[in-house]
Amino acid sequence: MSNAMTNEKHDDHHESHGGLGLYIGVFLALCVLTTLSFLTYFDFWRNSVPSNVSRAFMMAVSCTKAMLVIMFFMHLKWEANWKWVLTAPVIVMSALLIFALVPDVGLRFRHASEGRMIFAAERPAITEHAHADGHAEVGQDDPGDHGDHDEYDGHDGESHEQEAEPVRPAA
Amino acid sequence: MSDLKKQEQGHSHSPMFDYQPALPISNGKTFMWLFLSTEIMFFAALIGTYIVLRFGAVAWPSTHDVHLAEIWGATNTFVLICSSVTIVLALEAANKNNSQSARGWMVLTLLLGAAFLGIKMYEYNAKFSHGVYPQYPHSQIYEKPDVYYAQAVRMRLNTLKAELENNTERSEVEDAQLAVVDEIAQNLLVPAEKAIRDEPESPAGRVLIFKMADEIYPRASVHEHQVGATHAAAADAASKFTLVATVDGEPRGESEAPHSAHLEGLNDKYPWLKLPIMIPGGNMWASTYFLVTGFHAIHVIVGLIAFVILLTMTLNRANAGVIENVGLYWHFVDLVWIFLFPLLYLF
Repeated sequence: MSNAMTNEKHDDHHESHGGLGLYIGVFLALCVLTTLSFLTYFDFWRNSVPSNVSRAFMMAVSCTKAMLVIMFFMHLKWEANWKWVLTAPVIVMSALLIFALVPDVGLRFRHASEGRMIFAAERPAITEHAHADGHAEVGQDDPGDHGDHDEYDGHDGESHEQEAEPVRPAA
Repeated sequence: MSDLKKQEQGHSHSPMFDYQPALPISNGKTFMWLFLSTEIMFFAALIGTYIVLRFGAVAWPSTHDVHLAEIWGATNTFVLICSSVTIVLALEAANKNNSQSARGWMVLTLLLGAAFLGIKMYEYNAKFSHGVYPQYPHSQIYEKPDVYYAQAVRMRLNTLKAELENNTERSEVEDAQLAVVDEIAQNLLVPAEKAIRDEPESPAGRVLIFKMADEIYPRASVHEHQVGATHAAAADAASKFTLVATVDGEPRGESEAPHSAHLEGLNDKYPWLKLPIMIPGGNMWASTYFLVTGFHAIHVIVGLIAFVILLTMTLNRANAGVIENVGLYWHFVDLVWIFLFPLLYLF
């Protein structure tokens, strides 16, 4: 055992694990993966892939990239078993941190209070008719009108289109 | 059994009782990995809370609303990946005792890290120049087009007007500025104020404030929506307010791709105006964006300092351990950006 360890310590500085070829290979893989996640930005992707799917895809790509960096650039692939001593507790604790946040996501994502929704509603609904008149009136939940003004949500209007309709006079 | 005991007692250097370090790596490397462990938790918490805030927020600006350009994020990802490769190659060269080559790779890493920071500064400046700040004393972001926003615009216009009118020796430029201030007040603000005063129950006033906000700071997401849907309304809006300039004289709402839509509002046309802007979710976006990227940038700066210190040393085999540790840190900085890029720019 101790023999093996001294050997390893010895080898650390002499044996080159990677070599230029491997590093360039990893580099190219990272570039390709970055390009893949950048593809999600373009219209053809956005029009054909649901945003949830492309988000999951991006995270998968990021995790793959992270593993490539950790394994090859940080040399963890070639390290002895001590690597688990340091990484396993961190993985557990980071996972706990993330899990501790899950209730926040779960509770806040779907059920924003009415007050928050009213605060977030940035402008009242305007019907097509009102547009044409140049004089705005209250668009009382015209179902065909939702798509035109859900811009408060950024890219995805899927979560709270319906609730954000309340119209309050600003004064 | 007895054999074993005899062996243990007989040989003081029995393999079973030999002294071993806790981990078969150098102290420096142990420390670096312990430090990185804490760093992983630090950024896991930051990124986790960002995700909670982003998806818990009722309103969140699209990237183009806040002048976030995806291409620069992708470029920075590429720059950091390249720098990870160069520092790995520096370590390889040092392990081969080729200090000249190691120094070359290290200089290249330093330059790439500096390039990352330069691009980051350019990006920050794009936000600051449009009035998107994370902090109250500077932030001009209002969340929705309500009376508070109208009031803020009124106060800013009044301040500008008072300054210009008190100046008895006005130049031609300042005369023109005064005219612009008056025109904005007359065409955009006064109608909204009147509508709110006369018909407090009707949303007409809010609609007018929304239009005013759009003239001051047009948001890409608003105009993307108008492309296919209500073209007539967009053209109507464009014809109504002659103050708004569009790049190349192109009517707004016509450009089909979101990234090609370069919208110019009053604040862009007249940089001295500095009117308050309206971005739903903008304040939370600014807080999280600048916090997360700021902490990452601090880590990049620390890395650059480490590179400069390394460059004062001879990068030979004797110092390979130090290079390795700095390299580990730098790869971690790269790792964090690998997650930040899609989360901030593409989600």
